Amino acid sequence: MGVAELKKVELYYHKSVEENVARIVQRSGVCQIIESAEGPEARLAETENRLAACEEQEAYLRYLFRTLGSHYTDPVSSIDRLLGERQVFSLDELAQIAQETDLKELVSSVKTTEAKLNELRIEISQHKVNAGILSKIKGFPYPLSVLGEGTRTLKGVLGTLSAAQSEALKQDLTHSAYSKETELFVAPRKTKDKDAWVVVLYLRSREQEILELCVKNGMTLVDLPAHISDTVARESAKISDRLAECEGEESEILQDLACTADEWMPVVQSMSDYWKVLHDRYHALAASVATDSTVRTCFWVPAAAVPALQKQVEAAGSAVAFVVSDPKEEDRPPTLLMNNAFNRPAEVLTNLYSPPAYGQRDPTSPMAPFFFLFFGMCLGDAGYAIVIASVLWLLFKKYRKIPDGTKNFMRLFYVGAAATFLYGAVTGSFFGDFIDAFPFGAFLRPVKDALLIVDPLKNPVAILGISLLLGVVHLMFGLGVAAYDECRRGNYADAAGGKISWILFVMGLLFVGGGSSAMLPRFFYAPGAVMAVVGTGLIFWYAGRGEKNIFLKVGLGLYALYGSTAYLGDILSYSRLLALGLGSAVIGSVINLLGQMIVGVPFVGWLLAFFVVAGGHVFSLAINLLGAFVHAMRLQYVEFFSKFYTGDGVNFNPLKFQTQYVDIFDEI
Amino acid sequence: MELLGLAIALFGAALAGGMAGVGSAIGIGIAGESAAGVMSEDPDKFVKCLMLQALPGTQGFYGFIIVFMVMNKLQMFGTPLVISWLQGLMIFAACMPVALACWISAISQGKASAAAIQMISKKPDAVGKALVLPAMVETYAVLSLLTSILLLMFGVQLG
Repeated sequence: MGVAELKKVELYYHKSVEENVARIVQRSGVCQIIESAEGPEARLAETENRLAACEEQEAYLRYLFRTLGSHYTDPVSSIDRLLGERQVFSLDELAQIAQETDLKELVSSVKTTEAKLNELRIEISQHKVNAGILSKIKGFPYPLSVLGEGTRTLKGVLGTLSAAQSEALKQDLTHSAYSKETELFVAPRKTKDKDAWVVVLYLRSREQEILELCVKNGMTLVDLPAHISDTVARESAKISDRLAECEGEESEILQDLACTADEWMPVVQSMSDYWKVLHDRYHALAASVATDSTVRTCFWVPAAAVPALQKQVEAAGSAVAFVVSDPKEEDRPPTLLMNNAFNRPAEVLTNLYSPPAYGQRDPTSPMAPFFFLFFGMCLGDAGYAIVIASVLWLLFKKYRKIPDGTKNFMRLFYVGAAATFLYGAVTGSFFGDFIDAFPFGAFLRPVKDALLIVDPLKNPVAILGISLLLGVVHLMFGLGVAAYDECRRGNYADAAGGKISWILFVMGLLFVGGGSSAMLPRFFYAPGAVMAVVGTGLIFWYAGRGEKNIFLKVGLGLYALYGSTAYLGDILSYSRLLALGLGSAVIGSVINLLGQMIVGVPFVGWLLAFFVVAGGHVFSLAINLLGAFVHAMRLQYVEFFSKFYTGDGVNFNPLKFQTQYVDIFDEI
Repeated sequence: MELLGLAIALFGAALAGGMAGVGSAIGIGIAGESAAGVMSEDPDKFVKCLMLQALPGTQGFYGFIIVFMVMNKLQMFGTPLVISWLQGLMIFAACMPVALACWISAISQGKASAAAIQMISKKPDAVGKALVLPAMVETYAVLSLLTSILLLMFGVQLG
């Protein structure tokens, strides 16, 4: 298994069956459109009308999502939706709904309501401003019409200025020649107000001088709307009445919008998926080539799915020709990964990195066992593993229609939890040292002790050794895979000089080191020395093989040998397996210790301890889970993949019903 | 003066816990600013942003682990050992790798996380790669933790 074999399918069909063929192709969900040489928009002119129709509807839907969406509480949570809890429709049902729903009408009615709402809000804010002004000049004794129109002889001006300036204005007015012809009203001011509100009343004949005096003293003139003409008290009452009215209307409109949203949002959601499906379909058709009456569309189809597809398409009528061929040298087919049940969850990781190019090795199956092992060592706690597995089990039980992508991701953690449980059991970590820390764990102690092989807290060096050893195995395995691939392609020199040489060199040095320091039996020493020498020789030969000059040859060889430092770094990088596993164990133990300390509190000790221990472990699980995932992944991407994998493919992305809110099926 | 050794040892442990915590706080803060910026445009990226923001948080825990190991070594959960000032200095020295490397690396990792958050705002599918880039920085925090642990367990002889 690995990368699925793809076939190139060419469909020739008469324009009269075009809709039908496109529908069959989309329903099958196994065809990725190959853009014709003329580009993705070769037939744009022909398909433009249909696309434009989709886009028009989609524009309406976007508007409705934006307006109605903010007044709508979706009864289906986004988690439920992610896990596949969606309403199911047939394409025909949706087409029916689309026919019956006049989105344009709905949009225009919502637009009218929205406009009304906006007008109302503007009015409300104006009333609030006016009410604010009136509240400042509460004691003003005359009708306010004096400020707007004035009387035949009298007029007034309203404004604000600072307390000091108002005092200056008062002085100026009393000392002016026309002091008898004016009156100054200063509104009572609260101590925290910085500005004073004043009204200057004057004879019309003095308007010019008075206004100059006001401006000179820094007064900001304030205009009241002309319709506010009665006394302050009466006008205030009028405004607050009108304000209450407006706010009542506003909440009515909001309620109205909420009702409309409740009624229409489910339709809007299903229509959004429907039009997207059609849009995808017509967009794909635009990438075909056509004569006056015939269309040719090409697809990539997984070889296994070709016969079924052929049957479906040919059932559409006699006006269809179905031609299957293998990818040619110059083609660049997309990549579809196919793995067995154990490895399939790890495909997520390969795709997160970058899928392999078509025809290249799929790194999923060599990577998967190591990923799960490393994940288990980093998280390293049997208790946490049980929690993760239980949560996933409950989710799988509750949600029956989880989409494949999400399901694989969840399975990834399922298998990871199994590895974590095993590692946690042999290292005696169960919610840290929970079993030893609390008396009621005592009955589990014999089980824990029986399973315990090595305690990383007491013997970290053993785990460090195992971690580094696993690192060597992982790296050598990566090099081995690379050597095998080179041989398969016939590049024996690259395999021997670039890959096997390093295996010999690294393993040889390890055997020499181990044999001479009694970590390995003594007889490893001699073969190790031979391997290291042969490896070094191969490295020198491979590095210098393009050069004639002997000095350059040696120089290049030495330089290549300097690359061994990278291997040293790579191997040491696996020490994180110890550090992260130890981290989980220690943090777990500290949480238990806090619990033990708090148990002694009288009366509520057990309850407090329960919350501290439970909350602490949830937190520790979250942070260690993230760490375990990221670091197990990093060891694959950085250390392992760099030995044999480039990943320059693109994912197989077939034309299908790609929906966000509802599930669509189609029966023809 | 007989408590001088203990005081020096605790000073080292406090630096390990404190400086690593400071580093993590700064790093998470840097990443958080970036995450908030991205999420103001697209609130749906919350989970991805949160994962990246949390990455520089581990250093604080590494510091905490060392504090715990020092306290354990000195039997502070029972009757504390009385150690000489030279032994205290040894423990102080063993704490320094975590205190220094976790402090600085958390800040650098925060910057890398912030950049990675910007990356997934443009390319949400690249979240795998975006997680690996800040994790490269963490390597050195992990190494320092390991160094401190080994120094504490095998470098420092008490009693």
